[in-house]
Amino acid sequence: MSVIAALPDEVAGARERFDQLYRSSAADVYAYVASLLRDRSAAEDVTALAFERAFRRRALLDLRRGTPRAWLFAIARNAALDELRRRRRVGSIVGELADEGALDDVDEALAERRVLVREGLASLDARDREVILLKFLGRLSNAELARVLRCSESNAGTRLHRAIERLREVCGVPR
Amino acid sequence: MSRDDETARRVTELEALDRILAREPIAEEHLELAALVDSVRAGAPSIDPAFAASLEARLAARSPRRRAGRGARPRAGQLAFASGGLVAAAVALTILLSGSVRHDLFGGGGGAVTSLRPGNGAASHSAPVAPRSAHTFSGAAANLNSGAAATPNRAAAAPAAHGRLVQRGSSLTLSTPAASMQSVANQVVTATEQLGGVVENSQISIQGRSSYSSFVLQIASGRLGRLISTLSSLGGVAALNQSTQDITNPYDREVALLAQRIATRASLRKQLAGALTDAQIASLRKQIGQLNARIAIEQETIARLGRDAANATLGVQLVVGAAQTRSGHAGALTRAYHDALHALEEILAIALVVLAIVLPFAISGLALWWAATAVRQRARERAIRAA
Repeated sequence: MSVIAALPDEVAGARERFDQLYRSSAADVYAYVASLLRDRSAAEDVTALAFERAFRRRALLDLRRGTPRAWLFAIARNAALDELRRRRRVGSIVGELADEGALDDVDEALAERRVLVREGLASLDARDREVILLKFLGRLSNAELARVLRCSESNAGTRLHRAIERLREVCGVPR
Repeated sequence: MSRDDETARRVTELEALDRILAREPIAEEHLELAALVDSVRAGAPSIDPAFAASLEARLAARSPRRRAGRGARPRAGQLAFASGGLVAAAVALTILLSGSVRHDLFGGGGGAVTSLRPGNGAASHSAPVAPRSAHTFSGAAANLNSGAAATPNRAAAAPAAHGRLVQRGSSLTLSTPAASMQSVANQVVTATEQLGGVVENSQISIQGRSSYSSFVLQIASGRLGRLISTLSSLGGVAALNQSTQDITNPYDREVALLAQRIATRASLRKQLAGALTDAQIASLRKQIGQLNARIAIEQETIARLGRDAANATLGVQLVVGAAQTRSGHAGALTRAYHDALHALEEILAIALVVLAIVLPFAISGLALWWAATAVRQRARERAIRAA
């Protein structure tokens, strides 16, 4: 069922935009949240929460301040960080993500490289991992990245570049 | 590598990264970065199709359920409109209430009248007064006359709002064109009589630009405000003065004296009944006669004071001046303009009061909200550092 069909009182354009945003971002938002939380079940809850919040606040979306995608990732980030805070309070045990099965249909070298990168990413500091995930999965511009991370654009660029360098370092990837 | 070189390399690489993510062509030197992006994206957890479908269904079902159950969430515009409507209703109610209060003060109650002198801009305000009706005082006098009530109850005799007797006098000067002098003078008389007043004295002189008229009007105190209001519409108000005098104490003194004399007379009458000699009888009759005369004087004084309080005197002077009739078309427009300005002033005053009350709460609320947001955001950043 389409999200659009359920919103009869909304302006068609706004409904179309939200539906489009959902379809284009749901997988990436989930991937970002799951990579950050390293827990599929929690990631599903947080992803659902993020989309519900976005749906509730869709009237507050200001396109002059960034793309809907950046706005959605900011909401998802806050929800994911709230989940991390909750875990700290209750001392939840974090379950590791199960290995993806998508490596079967690629050649051995590429599969090995992907495993290497995944493990390297997992070993990174959470802040570095977060900025890489936001950039690579969210496909945010540096300005949007800065808005999500609440820092300056140059600072966001510096953080991103530094995180990529660290990822290369832990993965042993030559430049 | 120098710092500048490092910065340039970083900028180039970040630009290349944006091109990779936008699926645009890149230079060969950035293929490694593209492979890194591909590996990260390919290694990211993929969404469970069942979960994606259920999430879409939840979002789709969300809005209609809310509307059916708890009603639609009002938009900011609707909230603003509703708030504006509430404020407008409150303002209208306040204006209505203040208008009725003013009507009570100026019109119906015949109480406070503002003394205006448009010429020199001086203004003074009189205190609210409590008029008493004429028949109330005649009733009091009747009680005294019968001797049944030696000490008449002033509250019962004059049930005024504040229990005070106030003598009121006003003077009104109207300017009118010489050609309208006679007509306006006639309207003064007519208006006075229509409100139950009497023209005690009048003088009208029609001599071109030297024309003038003067009237001394008597009217029930309760209708003085209405009469002034009516007469003010006949010409331009050049001056309006009102004087008030509290005559409660003289009235009470006279009533006490009368009661004492009536008691003395009763005592003398008793003595007369028991008198044995002609000399005693003659002496007592003479004293009683003298007392009767004094009692009559007291009663007349009390009645006069009552009339003074019940009726107000209004002196009206008509002088030749510019045609500033408030009843005219231009006058109506001017009055409407002033009324509108006055209403705006009241609205502004009310808005200021509301603002003065609401603003501290709003600022406190905003500060609290901002602080809570900042604290929450810090906690989130701590959470990502600790993860």
